Amino acid sequence: MKRWVGLSILTGVAVLALAALLASSGLVAAQGAKLVIAAVAGNESLGLKAVAPMYEREHGVKLDIVEMPYPTLYEKLVTTFQAGAPTYDLVMLDDPWMPKFGTEEWLTPLDSTYGFKRDRDIPNVIYEVGTWPPPRGPVPPSEKAKPKHLLGITVVGNVEMFMYRKDLSPAPKSWDEVLTNAKKFNKPGSMAGYVVRGAATNPIVADFLPILWSFGGDVFDANWNVVIDSPASLRAVKFLVQDLKGVAPSGSENIDAADRSRLMAIGQAYQSTVWPGEVTGIVENPKVSKVIGKVGFIPMPAGPSGKGYGMMGNWLLAIPKASKNGGAAAAFITWVTSPKVQKTYAEAGGIPARKSILNDPAMNKANPYFSALAKSLEAVPNWRPRTDQWNAVETILGTNLNATLAGLSTPEEATKKAATEIRALMKKAGY
Amino acid sequence: MPRRRAGRRWRVVGVPVLGAVALVYAFPLYWLLVTALKGEGELYRATPSLFPHEPTLAAFSSVLVTRRFFVLLENSIIVCGATVLIALAIGFAVTYPITRLKVSRRLRVGVLNWALSLRFLPPVAVVVPYFAIVRGLGLYDRPEALVLIYTIFNLPFSIWMLKGFLAEIPPEVEEAAFVDGASRWVAFTRVLLPLAAPGILASGVIIFSFAWSEFLFALILTASPQAQTFPVGVQGLVTQFEIIWNDMAAAGAIAIAVPLGLMVLARRYVLAGLTFGVIRGQ
Amino acid sequence: MESASGSGLQAESASPDRRKRGHGFESRQERLAYAILLPVLGTVFVVVTYPLLFAVGQSLRATRGGDFVGLQNYASALENPLLYDALGATGIYAGIVLPTEILAGLGLALLVHRTVRSPRARLALYVFATIPIVIPPVAVGVIARLIYAPGYGVLNHLLMLAGVVQAEIPWLSRRDTAMLAVSSVDVWQWTPFVYLVFFAGLQTVPRESIDAAQVDGATGWTMFSRIELPYLRPLFLMVLFWRIADVLRVFDHIFILTGGGPGSTTQLLSVYLYRVAFKFFDTGEAAALAVMVMLAMSLLYAAATRLLPLERD
Repeated sequence: MKRWVGLSILTGVAVLALAALLASSGLVAAQGAKLVIAAVAGNESLGLKAVAPMYEREHGVKLDIVEMPYPTLYEKLVTTFQAGAPTYDLVMLDDPWMPKFGTEEWLTPLDSTYGFKRDRDIPNVIYEVGTWPPPRGPVPPSEKAKPKHLLGITVVGNVEMFMYRKDLSPAPKSWDEVLTNAKKFNKPGSMAGYVVRGAATNPIVADFLPILWSFGGDVFDANWNVVIDSPASLRAVKFLVQDLKGVAPSGSENIDAADRSRLMAIGQAYQSTVWPGEVTGIVENPKVSKVIGKVGFIPMPAGPSGKGYGMMGNWLLAIPKASKNGGAAAAFITWVTSPKVQKTYAEAGGIPARKSILNDPAMNKANPYFSALAKSLEAVPNWRPRTDQWNAVETILGTNLNATLAGLSTPEEATKKAATEIRALMKKAGY
Repeated sequence: MPRRRAGRRWRVVGVPVLGAVALVYAFPLYWLLVTALKGEGELYRATPSLFPHEPTLAAFSSVLVTRRFFVLLENSIIVCGATVLIALAIGFAVTYPITRLKVSRRLRVGVLNWALSLRFLPPVAVVVPYFAIVRGLGLYDRPEALVLIYTIFNLPFSIWMLKGFLAEIPPEVEEAAFVDGASRWVAFTRVLLPLAAPGILASGVIIFSFAWSEFLFALILTASPQAQTFPVGVQGLVTQFEIIWNDMAAAGAIAIAVPLGLMVLARRYVLAGLTFGVIRGQ
Repeated sequence: MESASGSGLQAESASPDRRKRGHGFESRQERLAYAILLPVLGTVFVVVTYPLLFAVGQSLRATRGGDFVGLQNYASALENPLLYDALGATGIYAGIVLPTEILAGLGLALLVHRTVRSPRARLALYVFATIPIVIPPVAVGVIARLIYAPGYGVLNHLLMLAGVVQAEIPWLSRRDTAMLAVSSVDVWQWTPFVYLVFFAGLQTVPRESIDAAQVDGATGWTMFSRIELPYLRPLFLMVLFWRIADVLRVFDHIFILTGGGPGSTTQLLSVYLYRVAFKFFDTGEAAALAVMVMLAMSLLYAAATRLLPLERD
């Protein structure tokens, strides 16, 4: 009997020793001057990865860039913030996530805590998108009384644009023209007239919103009432899932950003919406693209409403409250958004947000989409609805759009279903 | 004779069927390897090529070195190794009494039933409270949390397999040791363990493989290379903003190679274990 | 002497001396057994049960704020039509995967048993059959993407090369093909496991019975149903329950291959729970779902223990 007591004690000690070993290995790894950055996997992080060694050389601080796919990054950030864990010193966040992070107060204000001031060289809209509560447009009810703070600064100046084969036709000025051109050039099997980025949730919603707005529709009105089932919205949905789908390659329901850029790069697509990151990484990448010099980039075409609405998709750098290296993180943000570094950043494939760089003629030669991007920023693009429920809304809307794109429901059914679900969600959230 | 004719009929059907099955299993693995050996440029061809035109190991170095997946590899090995040790220890603590000691049938069946019940526990349901608990204990993004959870989920297998192997060893062996004056502990370590070694090895390899493959808990409970395991890294390469199928395939290939390698090394023992102790390695 | 499920050694092989010693010795052994088992099982029991109780607690609280709200989360969970879509999808998946794996596994086991004689070939087949089982499901998901994805999926390419189809089939975009795609991954990975179990079971059929039956002129079907099937029946149930438990937990490869789409066609139960818990972060409703799932699983498990011969004495 005593032997067995001895055995269990021995086992317990062994287990504890093992645990201690693991714990200490974790502790050891935490030392050393370094910053952990949560970033999105993909071309958007090209610039960041390129300038990281430069920062280490200049300041002796190592940057540990943890990359995750887009949906995983959001989920990971929320779970980490909920856990109050100091895992990340800096986070790259997509601007539609700002409402959630701002409402939950997970980020350290850059203006009041670190003294960030507005730089004239950076477009105003960039500061607006990083401010919470939002300086314009509808504000969630729970946030109306809060003072405005700058919570993040743009490190990827993304505005969704439009690309087309300029060697085949002049620029389309409206979505109707887009459709006409698409039908003209569509050759199933060799060239798609338009590529629908139709993968469920974020991808299809990103592709759809500029069309929705250009048609005069929207997800919410100024008072957070759901209007995705309005006649204008329905027309936009039909345009995407019926008209554009008719000239799109098969499998749209699973096509995402890199897939459609790849089709463009190998000459199998005529036009599509595009994010700047795809341009530097794929469409204008000399290593892989066969259409260099043949693609034109313009702001979003206009819709029946008469206006073309670009959509912002800035990636911002922010500092979590739980981080233990706030000062060092703020120093990095200042460094990476400085004019000198932004130039190197842009040359490496990053997307800058400084007017001086975007309008620089030399940079424009190397990056043909810069002037379109600068124009889009000046025109003050739309941003996604500033609600902390946006991720859930996007999931609902995206799933239903994807379903109707796949022919599993009619556009009427899809918009109705989405509207009902979103209404229930917003009600539950207190809107 | 009827036996030979029947055999021939089976063989006529058998060979093409087995051939087709072999193809169905070999081709996807071949395709994974081929994609992992392609260079970035090859991914931009209009149609996928069935063999790499310029095979290169660039994807593997990109995954292990540039993306620093060797850290994830280390994490996985440490976590799985620890899981194996603890799961086997607890497994022994549970199966020894019920196979070597005289206990009531009810107890034996009760323990085995309870072990079986753990198998029915759906991880995604358990992850909801576990996330909150791990947070509360300050174990978020720590490998210890994973070791704890993996041990629990692999206990059923550990118990089932060890029971199967231990039950095979006749009690006379231990009794001989008792007769020679050995204590229970000595009989356990000097006589039983060596005899059960093949079973322990088999169980260890299988538990390692299952812990290695675990994805959901690793995804939810880790946030950085401090604790992330290799499968999380593999999923991280299924990205929609880059064309990196070769890297994705390379990571997948490495993820398969590790448990596969172990399995091949320990094949004889593992086979017995996987089929509930029904067969012995022939 | 081989035993199919490691049955009670104690009863059969207790030596006469042991029995003669009587109660004292036996109860000492039992006390020792309990001394080891109790702390170990006790700890594990607590570690396993605490989260379940915690989940019940979470399910009775509101997600925002944490106030006690009784059964409200359960109500909203049960009102959500997506839950029933998920249950339906899981049912369809199980309906495709289980019969296919069992029949294919059994068929292959019979085939190999009848045709492959050389022990080295059999051993080789054993090793090959264990390979798919140890492949991490995420890796199988990656392989499946490389096969079914639009544009770079190799399956369409092969089908077009062979002239079977003219245009690309959007596997992951249509309800029926998407379900087939995710099911095919499960079948690919787990049929070898079923094969191994049944093949091993066929080995345990005593040579004498087979010979005797053949002398009596038994052929194919009779041989199978009268002689071999009785030995396979317990394994059959075991495999069925093991696979059902696994199918109800399936997540990894679906997450990677379709993410639940198109629409919510392949959003099986675990994928749906993941969505509620980690996309919508609705802790209360997720916990309610988790508790309901665990209750359902316990019922299933209770059925399993009633029907499975865990101990053959």
